[in-house]
Amino acid sequence: MPSIWKTLIAGAAMLATATGAMAADWTPPGPIKLLIAFRAGGGADTQARLIAETLEDKLGWKFIPEQATGKGGLTMAAALKKAPADGTVVGMAVTETFGYNMAAAPNAGMKPSDFAGITTTAGFQMGVVSASSKGWKSIDDMIAAAKGGEPIRFGVMSPRLADIAYLLGKAQGVDFNIVSVQGGRAVLDGVNAGDLDVGFMAGIQRAGVAAGDLVNLASALSVPLEQTPDAPTLATLGVEFDSDGQFLFVGPAGMPQDAIDTMAKAIAETISDAESKPGGLIKKAFGGPVIIQGAELDAQLEAGFQSSEALLKAASE
Amino acid sequence: MAMTQNRWIGLVVCVLALVLLFVWIPLDVETGIVEKIRRQVEIGDALGPTVAGVFLLFGGVILAFVERPPSEPKPVDGQAIRFALLIVVYLGVCFLVMLVTGPAAVWVASQATGSDLEYRLLRDTVPWKYLGFLTGGTLAILGVISLAERRVSLKALIVAVAAVIAMIAIYDLPFDDLLLPPNGDF
Amino acid sequence: MGTLDYIWLGILAVFQGPEFVSLAGISISVTLAMIFFGFLLGVAVGATPGLAGPIAMAISLPILISIFGFTPDALLPVLGFLIGIMKGATIGGAVPAILFNTPGTPDAFMTTLDGHPMARRGLGGKALRVAHFSSVTGDTFSDIVLIICAPFLALLVEGYLDLPEKAALLILSMSFIAAAVGGSLAKGLISTGLGLLAAYVGTGQDFYPRLSIGNEALSEGFPLASTVLGVLIVGAVLHELALYWRRRDDGTAGTVMETEANQRLSLREIGRLMPYIGRSAVVGTMIGALPGIGSTLAATIGYTVGKRRYQKVRKDDALDFGEGVPEGVAATEAANSSVSGANLIPVLSLGIPGNAAAVFLILAAESIGGFTPGPSVFKFTTDQVNPELVIAFGLFTCMFLANLMNWTIGGVFMRAMAVMTRIPKQVLLPVVLLLTLTAIYVQETAMAAVWFTLGFGVLGYLMRVLAISPLPFVIAFILGGRLEDTSRQAFAATGGDPWFLVSSPVSIAFMALTAIVVVAAIRRGRTD
Repeated sequence: MPSIWKTLIAGAAMLATATGAMAADWTPPGPIKLLIAFRAGGGADTQARLIAETLEDKLGWKFIPEQATGKGGLTMAAALKKAPADGTVVGMAVTETFGYNMAAAPNAGMKPSDFAGITTTAGFQMGVVSASSKGWKSIDDMIAAAKGGEPIRFGVMSPRLADIAYLLGKAQGVDFNIVSVQGGRAVLDGVNAGDLDVGFMAGIQRAGVAAGDLVNLASALSVPLEQTPDAPTLATLGVEFDSDGQFLFVGPAGMPQDAIDTMAKAIAETISDAESKPGGLIKKAFGGPVIIQGAELDAQLEAGFQSSEALLKAASE
Repeated sequence: MAMTQNRWIGLVVCVLALVLLFVWIPLDVETGIVEKIRRQVEIGDALGPTVAGVFLLFGGVILAFVERPPSEPKPVDGQAIRFALLIVVYLGVCFLVMLVTGPAAVWVASQATGSDLEYRLLRDTVPWKYLGFLTGGTLAILGVISLAERRVSLKALIVAVAAVIAMIAIYDLPFDDLLLPPNGDF
Repeated sequence: MGTLDYIWLGILAVFQGPEFVSLAGISISVTLAMIFFGFLLGVAVGATPGLAGPIAMAISLPILISIFGFTPDALLPVLGFLIGIMKGATIGGAVPAILFNTPGTPDAFMTTLDGHPMARRGLGGKALRVAHFSSVTGDTFSDIVLIICAPFLALLVEGYLDLPEKAALLILSMSFIAAAVGGSLAKGLISTGLGLLAAYVGTGQDFYPRLSIGNEALSEGFPLASTVLGVLIVGAVLHELALYWRRRDDGTAGTVMETEANQRLSLREIGRLMPYIGRSAVVGTMIGALPGIGSTLAATIGYTVGKRRYQKVRKDDALDFGEGVPEGVAATEAANSSVSGANLIPVLSLGIPGNAAAVFLILAAESIGGFTPGPSVFKFTTDQVNPELVIAFGLFTCMFLANLMNWTIGGVFMRAMAVMTRIPKQVLLPVVLLLTLTAIYVQETAMAAVWFTLGFGVLGYLMRVLAISPLPFVIAFILGGRLEDTSRQAFAATGGDPWFLVSSPVSIAFMALTAIVVVAAIRRGRTD
């Protein structure tokens, strides 16, 4: 065998391993494909890319980000499920993908146990938001308007939120005209343009609320909103489901535990540091990091899947 | 009723539209034209494709039976079409060559050295990552020039190699995150 | 934040971005540099037979996005580059038409009628100068109209149109495009139907990817880049190659003839040309403002209008249109160039692209994110900055800078680019093919995208062979998702009213116009 081949192969092998030398317990055997379930350019996509970039600098790993959008994250999940489980392919999505969306699409044949949760990064400040020009000061004003016969257009950006909006109306004894749009940005635009009367917004309302153009009428979470702590939660409005959820990194089931741990630790460190680029973004856009890892995360995904079946059932009645 | 070229196109489009409307959509779309969910009637996934089918059907019927365009389009040049299709098939083959070259080289290398290499893990490593694109890309340009000129020339080969190297320089060298064909598939 | 503040912010956004280079203490922003590079590339590809602005825009896009990333900061440099190409290609297109009697683009065909005879009489340089002056004048006029009209139209749309009316307006636009492009309503409808069908494969609201026939690649839908570039670029390249292969022998060799000493344009000559340029600029701008009717029709009408006037005023012994008069070149070039600015009126005010260049601007904005061309851009919020509006005024600034380059250095570059016409087509086109496929792969990172592109290339080629315009296909593909979403939202918002499309005077008017457009086109098709 010509010696040039040996040199080349030796060089290649060195390149693949040497850069990771300073890393802790686990080094990827090759470049890591990062499947991003969000369209390029949005806050979620930027978050994923910034985290990858920071890890590259910090650990000497190599990430190759790739868009895998569509079907509420199921497109990404389907690709991830088939990928080699050696830590060289990971994905970024929201917990809703592994809960409601998998429960609602049984034909896709995916469940949370097909995946290994790595870490969550941030939550959503999901509120029920209207334009202040509507004149509603609280959710009661809106319900009163609906009871007075005004048709209410309720903007939602996922089937799960549509179900929750429906149950909110049911609990309050009114019917909303539930309008599904593509993404939180479209809800914001619709509410601003007057095409929608009210809608779910997952943090994008922050500046508008601060400026007084928008009003957080209610928190769609199990806890009050940070920005408007006085707005009632869904539970107090008679809805037993909430829209709690986080962004998360996830791998295929069977991914080596040391790979999961190393990655989870590194991501958590990065996003907890408000001085780092991803940390700063998460602080600014999502109100700070939310870090759930390990067995706790897997259990949460499984629980989300189970409760979604209950939500699906409740909303079909 | 003479079978002009436009009438042929119109009839073929009509058949396509009918297949779409009455076979493809019913079999391959989960929700109907309207759906009742959450006590609310909503537009289902079948409406959009149905509108597409109606556009096609209208277009086909008008073309076949109503419209009399000022002049018939030029008669179809069968040889030109075959040539264009040949180029497409040839390009497809070149991209298949791209797909297999890298892994084949890695396989040979690991057989020769006894080491256990995998192309997937080397897809971002020089020189492996260029093998497929260099081979397939050069073949693609060289072949299409040669088909068009009806001869193989050294000039075409030089152009092909230079162009492929230039593309590597444009797309790969300056960027960390970009993958040349076929490396995204691994 | 008043309107003037926004305009000022937009201008600043162009000049104050990150520094590209500092020349003699003056800092050149990246955006400014990108407009310049785009402009040079545009003149070059415009002057190259077989290439056109859209091809260059398509191939540069993935490279630009890789350089600048997916952040709002990337918008102005990337869009500036594309606008530079667009503007440069407009003047470049006249070069091969005049010197070699081969129109680089269809809309330059009318330019050959008088431009080439002028070149044969030894006035090639003068013809190029006339083309340059008329082209840039028409373009600048069109841009001014754009900047005045687009914000107002957008405000009207946002203020008066509710979801049902927006759905009706989309239907009207699509029917209009189907009826107006290519002269045959039937073929326009077929092209539109195919575009809609392609848009609906693998998409939809349900979790099951519709029409995907169990195929995994189809279930993600056709990638935008594969579909648009496949039909527009690969289809066109295949067509060119097949044409070349068929008539390889009758090559038309051209020569640059500048035997006359004086190739310059005097002020008096410009004064004589102005009536033609003015008329054509108005014609081109009006046509450009309607989506889908391209610059080819504008050139034809501009030429016809110019010819009519010329015959009234010409002296008996003077040359006529078609025999090589500068007025003919001016009338054509002013008309086809003034389409490009006005074509952005429907893009910026409605989000509806009217031609291939606009398609690529939308493609760029969609890929980068943070700027959605459409009426919501022109929200003059006062208490906080609307970043999209700043970008919009930044874009206008880019257009005027590109015009400025056109005025100052465009003529010189244009005449220098005559060398580009010597590049043999059969060598250039295969390189363009691989470059396009590579660009798409780099963006989509999956072979499936290449197969789709080749498939759509065949479709685009066959459409050209069968005289079906691919433009309605592309526009329908881009708007298909929005048409469905808007209809769905309008239907849901009205509480499931099946008559939502005719529920208000405005939407009734739009639907009635749709019917009139279609019926008129059918009648035209029968009587022609």
